[in-house]
Amino acid sequence: MLSFLEIAKRSETGPMAIADELGMKIAGIVTGLAKKYDIAYDPEVRVNTDDDLADRVWQAGRDLILEIGLYSINSRRQILFSEREVDEGLAAVRPEFTAGEGLDTALVYRRDVEDNRPPVIFGGPFNADVHQDMFVRLNEAFAGEPLIDLLLLPGYLKELDGIMIRPNSGLSTRAAMFYGRWAREAISRAGRPGLPIVGHAVMALNEVSSANEEWGLRSCDPRAFALISELQVDDVTLTRLAHYQAIGAPIYTSATPLIGGYGGGPVGTAIIGVAGHIGSVMLGSHVMHLGPQHIKYKQQTNAMSLWLGSVVKQAAARNSKMINTTSVTTSGRPGSMQYIYEFSALVLSVVPSGSNLTGPRPAEPLGWNNVSPLMCRLFAEVGHAATKIDRKEANRIADTLHEKYKDKIELKDAPKGLPFEKMYDVNTLQPNDEHWALYEKGKSELKELGVPLE
Amino acid sequence: MAEHEEILERMRASIVAADETEAMAAAEAALAAGIEPLTALEEGFAGAIRAQGEAFSNLDIFLPELVLSAKAMQAGVSVLEPALKAKGIDAARSGVVVIGTVEGDLHDIGKNIVVAMLRSAGYEVHDLGTDVPIPNFISVAEQTKADIIGLSALLSTTMLRQKDLIELLNLKKIREDFFVIVGGAPVTEAWMNEIGADGYGLDAHMAIEVLDSRTK
Ligand code: B12
Repeated sequence: MLSFLEIAKRSETGPMAIADELGMKIAGIVTGLAKKYDIAYDPEVRVNTDDDLADRVWQAGRDLILEIGLYSINSRRQILFSEREVDEGLAAVRPEFTAGEGLDTALVYRRDVEDNRPPVIFGGPFNADVHQDMFVRLNEAFAGEPLIDLLLLPGYLKELDGIMIRPNSGLSTRAAMFYGRWAREAISRAGRPGLPIVGHAVMALNEVSSANEEWGLRSCDPRAFALISELQVDDVTLTRLAHYQAIGAPIYTSATPLIGGYGGGPVGTAIIGVAGHIGSVMLGSHVMHLGPQHIKYKQQTNAMSLWLGSVVKQAAARNSKMINTTSVTTSGRPGSMQYIYEFSALVLSVVPSGSNLTGPRPAEPLGWNNVSPLMCRLFAEVGHAATKIDRKEANRIADTLHEKYKDKIELKDAPKGLPFEKMYDVNTLQPNDEHWALYEKGKSELKELGVPLE
Repeated sequence: MAEHEEILERMRASIVAADETEAMAAAEAALAAGIEPLTALEEGFAGAIRAQGEAFSNLDIFLPELVLSAKAMQAGVSVLEPALKAKGIDAARSGVVVIGTVEGDLHDIGKNIVVAMLRSAGYEVHDLGTDVPIPNFISVAEQTKADIIGLSALLSTTMLRQKDLIELLNLKKIREDFFVIVGGAPVTEAWMNEIGADGYGLDAHMAIEVLDSRTK
């Protein structure tokens, strides 16, 4: 990593560039790199088993970040890295760290390809729209799920007390404070007061106001920010970085390279994915999250995303010490079997590829609270089971699952699902009979397909 | 005529191949062969770029290919432009658009696609980028004598800025001067109606359909 001062300096003095032109430049570079390293997409493969291919994608991604660096949108300048700096940054990256406190402390660690240690589970509302009336209880239910190691992004507060929140407004500062407060209340009600909360209040700069050791997000809570696709940061990102480093919070950075965007197809996009991870390391991040996003389907469980997820995670796991995770966003929504098929397919693709797990979440939640803690439990269970099989077997099962939903992958055709209140008794915080039945059905179908669930 | 058809085919191929030099050469050949400039534009370039747009919607091609095709089209059209003008046809015949992603919002891929498609459909486009304060849309629209303002918003919170634009136009008593089209994932027909916009586009295709058939 580079010091914040060095990043800030380069963002003010690096070579000037125009964003759209840089996007097209990336398109040209990745096409060349795909040729140079002979990287091709195989539409039949859900989980890559070719180690050499993963290594070539790594090399290409490394070449890309060396050539293009990260782009600082507001100053319109490139933050460039030398080869030596990248090698030093990768050598210094932490393979593990702890988050949270006391009995609930979580060990967050890197995994190898086909590692038999369980994936670390980042589970929670994943910033789906959560209504303030249900914020504490919904997060309490998530925090009560024992397989969740870190509570993930407690929810997107669109409005507060009936007023829509304008980014950067005073109201958004107030909302960010409640975000921290309510998340803390939720974990304490669940009896896991030390549970780490991966925070990202979606409130632009104002989100720093969620930080408070006593009632808000603590320094032991990892904080998230996203690289702006492709390979960009802005003043808000860098402000967060400065703040997180100052309070000593672990940093969780997502890269969402867009399949069909400037990277072109899955190959170019995979190369950008690797470059994004290395760029995040250079910024000083501790967890590298990949969102294998598809521009047409707007979700992450289509055939290309499955392949991309497995390749990028293997590339990073085989060639670096970085801690990897993958986001799982689906077309089908909680309350449907399709949700289970979809998240299981991506879990099977990335867990044997060396990734931890983030999610799951519907790509297009309908209305408020469209998430389920019980489905997160099943997601985690599939993740643990996936450590018992190799990539070849994972590929077979993921392919069978993909067959089941591939024709209903367009968001308009996907099952609408249910809000939390329709899947749970909101007083007892227990799933209702119907939701339990769905869980049991999903589990037994997955077992039949060969997922070694307990 | 066979020769004419051959040249039109060359023009179409240059767009698909995203070859700027070839697009310009083919346009010159078309004019030299006496093809009507409007025919050259419509049957040579426009059909091909529409097909590229369609191919992109199905992801048979990707964003860079679409952008490059649109660039080739722009280069080719620049050759036809004087001949079009001489016939009293404005190359920006479809309209002048000021477009951007609203304040507080950084999502630009969808907007970039709409921009590429609009340019290739004969619109003069002023792209203001992302995180654009609402008054900027109006001042640039006035400066460029635009007749269309397009607003992209991908967040449910930033959608509200689309409503602000309408209110601000009303306040300035210039609402009738502009056709306002809104778009972005959370934007629906109901939202368009609620805020009193003139059109909305589910995707870039629909954006062009809506704008081409506008009466304002
Ligand atoms: C890529 C992405 C990002 C990238 C953006 C990169 C970039 N350069 O654009 C990054 C990582 C930076 C990002 C950041 C954030 N994002 Co985001 N992002 C997405 C994602 C995954 C895809 C968007 C996309 O590019 N789609 C592909 C294009 C082709 O589709 P499109 O944009 O819809 O455009 C088409 C149409 O809408 C239409 N259209 C678009 N604009 C216009 C304009 C006009 C005039 C017309 C007529 C038509 C039109 O035509 C386009 C072409 O067909 C969506 C998920 C989704 N389901 O959409 C989330 C999503 C939009 N993001 C979301 C959120 C919350 C955020 C963040 C706040 C936090 C976060 N990290 O999650 C930040 C906000 C940053 C900010 N201030 O804006 C949420 C919004 C939720 C909500 N209720 O509002 C979504 C829905 C994800 C989710 N499931 O929760 N994001």
